[in-house]
Formats: sequence, structure tokens, C-alpha cells
Amino acid sequence: MFTWSTKALFALSAVVLSAQQIKLPRTADGKPNLQGIWQVRGKAAADLQGKGIVEGGEIPYQPWAVTKKRENFTNRLAADPLGKCYLPGVPRIMYMEYPFQIFQTPEHVAITFEWSQVYRLIYTNGKPAPHEGIDSWMGDSRGRWEGDTLVVEVKAQNDKTWFDMAGDFHSDAMNVTERYRMVDPDTIQYEATIQDPKVFTKSWKISIPMTRQKNMSRLLEYQCQAEAEEANGAFERDPRTWYPKPGSPPSPLGKPAVMPPSGPLPEVKTGTNLRRTADGKPDLTGYYQSNAGGANYGLEQRRSELRLTPSTRGVIIDPPDRTLPYQPWARAERINREEPYRGYDDPTAHCFVAGVPRSMYVPSPVQILQPPGYVVMLFERMSWRIVPLDGRAHIPDNIRLWQGDSVGHWEGDSLVVDTTNMNGKTWLNEVGDVVSHAEHIVERFIPTADGKITYRATVTDPIAYTKPWTIEIPLNRANDELLEVACHEDNGDLQHLKDVRDEYRAQQKKEK
Amino acid sequence: MNITKLSGVLGMITLMAGTALAHHSFTAEFDVNKPVKLTGKVTEMKFSNPHSWIYLDVETNGKVVNWALETGAANALIRRGWKKTDLPAGTVLHVDGWQARNGTATANVSSVTFPDGKRLFAGSSNESAPQQ
Repeated sequence: MFTWSTKALFALSAVVLSAQQIKLPRTADGKPNLQGIWQVRGKAAADLQGKGIVEGGEIPYQPWAVTKKRENFTNRLAADPLGKCYLPGVPRIMYMEYPFQIFQTPEHVAITFEWSQVYRLIYTNGKPAPHEGIDSWMGDSRGRWEGDTLVVEVKAQNDKTWFDMAGDFHSDAMNVTERYRMVDPDTIQYEATIQDPKVFTKSWKISIPMTRQKNMSRLLEYQCQAEAEEANGAFERDPRTWYPKPGSPPSPLGKPAVMPPSGPLPEVKTGTNLRRTADGKPDLTGYYQSNAGGANYGLEQRRSELRLTPSTRGVIIDPPDRTLPYQPWARAERINREEPYRGYDDPTAHCFVAGVPRSMYVPSPVQILQPPGYVVMLFERMSWRIVPLDGRAHIPDNIRLWQGDSVGHWEGDSLVVDTTNMNGKTWLNEVGDVVSHAEHIVERFIPTADGKITYRATVTDPIAYTKPWTIEIPLNRANDELLEVACHEDNGDLQHLKDVRDEYRAQQKKEK
Repeated sequence: MNITKLSGVLGMITLMAGTALAHHSFTAEFDVNKPVKLTGKVTEMKFSNPHSWIYLDVETNGKVVNWALETGAANALIRRGWKKTDLPAGTVLHVDGWQARNGTATANVSSVTFPDGKRLFAGSSNESAPQQ
């Protein structure tokens, strides 16, 4: 039995020594291993000035800012930027009640969020940001380790985000210093110090525990804008391609085709002098651009007839005639999608994520990371793909996602990624090459030299095609960093496309 | 940034980036049968994604209309060293482009020149040889 004083002493020493005494998971380079799925639960998302989050209880607003905050609170239902699905900014994204996954390499910490497929890429390589003078919704994050604490400086955020649903706000002069300290294997104590001389009288700090989500094996998707537009009718799914609800009648197209196996493909040799990770696999890490010859305008080759339509190189390597083996209905649909009034129906015109394989050849860069156990792809158009390499099975058939469910493995020096569970809402490019929810994609990332990947994707889709087909696109590493594309911050194009569609529909109605 | 450097940079931008960062069908939004030629003063250069916009006050028969002119994505401009302050309000520009199908004062830019004939842009977001 402890006496009172030894109890107190024990408690005190437990606080002081906890980091040493509790065995934390560690990476190969000895840092606390933050990898895993985490979530914050509590009141922070609703109101930071709730109990025990802000040190001292209150945010030290300047007098004018107290008034502004009150106005925000009064108008919060309409004025909260999150209501328009704008990117939440830092620190707000960290304590919204959606899970997120942390990935860690010696040079990066990446955080991928279930909310709208947002990610943060924190550079821990000591390099400064290559592009100066740009503000963005999520800011620029540079990190370093101070002992066992990951310290992240977040700069250059715009003034359009809030801290919470209660209207707490900041200006574009805000700097945030975050501290991620693992206190036990299942808890990260998260602190953020806010400095903003335009709005506050002094700096202030929040402290929130993040909890490991042991029962979650992968993140799913909450696509804020897409869900809103599907609910209010602004985006219409195509019933022929999207995944029907359980119990709904079969596709009007009847039975899916029986697919023959994919044809033999020309061999590509992997490189001999590849950079390798600690586990001996080719190191694909880096910022890549695809040399896709306009695949985002058409997978088949075509010469532009109109001066204003892009020509495309054609990226199909199988079938040998380099055309897509469409079923008749799908070819007709593909041709119809090129009509101006269909431009509105392309999900990327709505700024929705591009799907698979389109994410790999939209004309926008991708950052590949190779943390232990995963390959992670971060797309500049703000979405991610997470590929676990642990041999797990796909998720249940009734879960359907914009980016699908990917699992991967190495075959020699090639990375093979198998993707299913697509939702059938995506287009393959702007001219509307068709794909359905039955799409099954097998991708090969074949490193042919350091910084050069031959990317192949074989698509099997018995609802839209008569046989499998394969595209091939080179991916080239470049020395750059991703920027932010907050696509629907200013998507005026969509209204124009809608006007064209609505005019066509009105005309059709008149003619009837 | 001086004008010569600027026009060089911009030439590259639009060739490489106009199409490069398009996120919607050009022909669905803009009408190839509605070419427009505009002269006016810049009121704002808006750096944004998926496209940046130049706003131009154009006077016709005493009436001023503010045109919205679509160019490449902010990220492409940034990667080539552009800054928000590089095209100040009041700059006079001649713009060629194609008007939006919905008939509003909106156009996709194909070329921009200064009054002295120097070219600012050399392509548009529908450039017919995508680089990527």
C-alpha cells in the first residue's frame, strides 16, 4: 500500500518519465512511429472554446475581432466555409470528426483524410518551400523532429477558413506550430500554437488527444461536394454504369459479357540500377508527371479535325488495333458524351476526384510515397490513393468508392496494384470514354530506370466492353513539389456548362 | 518582372499549361464559331484553380462590359515564376479568344497582346497539342 506522498511522487514521475517508460512503436530511424488510422472525438470541431481545449479557456481576440466572431456565430449556418465544402485549413482539419491516416518516411509525413480525400504532405527533409508567396487553403507544412515530438510549422494559409463551427476565425497572417507527441502507442497528444497579430492579442494554444482507430483497417471516403450535389440533383448518376443499391433491378443492359483473358503484352524490362528502399524494393518515391499524350481527351488516337479539339497520341497497347473494345451501347454513349450539352456530366468538371485509372493521366502531377507497408499516391487535384502491400483482401462488394479499393504486391521489381469497388460514376476522360462499376483495374508500375516508370493499366469491365484492354503511359520524376488545387473554390466553368445543358434540355422539351 | 520576361514566360505557360490543367471539356463550354477580339483595361488578375482569370473592362459604344477571360491554372503560372502582382489593374490588353456558348461576357483566351504588339499569351486552354 502506498502512502499519500509516495503515490503523489509516483504520479509525478509517471508524468515525467512516461515517454521513456511506455514503449512506443518506432520507425527504422528511431522516431516514434505515428503510422496508423487516428481520429479526434469531442467538442473541438463544434467549438474550440468548449471545455479544456484552448489553454486558459478563451481565444484572445482583439476587440474588433470579438465583434466579428459574434457575427460569424450568428450567421454560422450560412457562413461556415465548410458548408460549401471548401478545404478546412489547419488546424481545423485535424479535429473534424473524420478518421485520418498518417504515413511516415524519413523525408515526409503524409496525412490522408477521409473528409473529401484531402491530404497534407509535410516535408521533414529540411528543405524550404520551392514556390514562395502563394497562399492556399491548407498552407505549406514543414516539419522536424524535436526528440520524440514532431513539430510542424504551417504557413501561408489564406484567410477564408475557420477554426470550428462556432465562427472562430483568423487572418492570412496566421502561423500555426503543431506538435505531435505520442504519449502511448494509441494516443497522440496534438498541440497547435496559433499566432496571428492581425486578429489576436497574443499567441494561444490548443491541446487535443488523437486516438488510434484499432478497428479500422482502411479509410473510406466522405466526398463532401459530390455527396451534396448528388443529394440536390446537381450531379446526375448514369443508371447504366453506377452501382445499383442492393435489391434494385438488374442493369437494363442485361447480362454482363463473358470476358476473355487479356492479350499478351510486349515485355518491358525493369531497370538495373534502381534506387532501392531499406527492404530492397525499387524506391518509387517522388513527384511525377505523366506523359499521357492527351489521354485525358481520349484514350484512342485521333487527329483533331476541329482546330480547337486536342489531338491525342493514343495510349492503348491492347487490343492490337489500339481501339477500345466497346459494347455497342457504350460506344454510342461515348459518342454522345462529346456533345457540348454533355460536358456538364463529366465528374471532373464538377471537381470530383478522377477515379482509376484516370487519376494517373489527368494533366496534373502525383507524389508517390513508399512508407513501410504501403504505396501512397497523392494527386495535386486533391485526392489520394492508398495501396496496402500486406496481402489483404478487397473490402466488401457493397462498399463503392470514387477511387475504388486498391491492394498491391511486388512481382520482381514491378509494383502490381489491383483495384475494385469502383462506384461507376467516373468518366475516363473529357470526351467521355465509358467505364462502369464493374471495372476491375490491374495496374503495373514498372521502373525502367531511376525516376522513370512505365505505367500500365489493364481494365476489365464486362458491362461496357467485350474484352479487357490495356493502356501504357510513361511517368517521369521531376524535382518539384505538389501545390494545392482547391478546384471548386472558383469553378465558374460549371455554371457555363450547365447553361449549355439546360438550354439543350429546354429545346428538347419544346420539340416534344 | 519586366514585360519581355513576362511575355516569354507567358508564352510558355499557355503552351504548356493551358491545356495541361484543363479540367473540363473546352468545346462543351466555349464556342469555336464565336471568336471574339477585345481591347480593354485589366481590372483584376485572379490566380485560381482550376483556371486563372483575367478580368477586362471593354468599352463598346460608351457602354463598359467587364469580361471574364479564362487562362491556365494558377499552379502552372506559379511553377513558371508568376506572381499575383505581375499584371496590375489598368494594364491595356488586346485579347483574342472564343466566347462561352451561354452568351455571357466570358471567353477562353487564345492570345493576348500589349498595345506595342508584344504577345502575352500564345495559346489557350484548348491548345491542340497537349504536352501531357
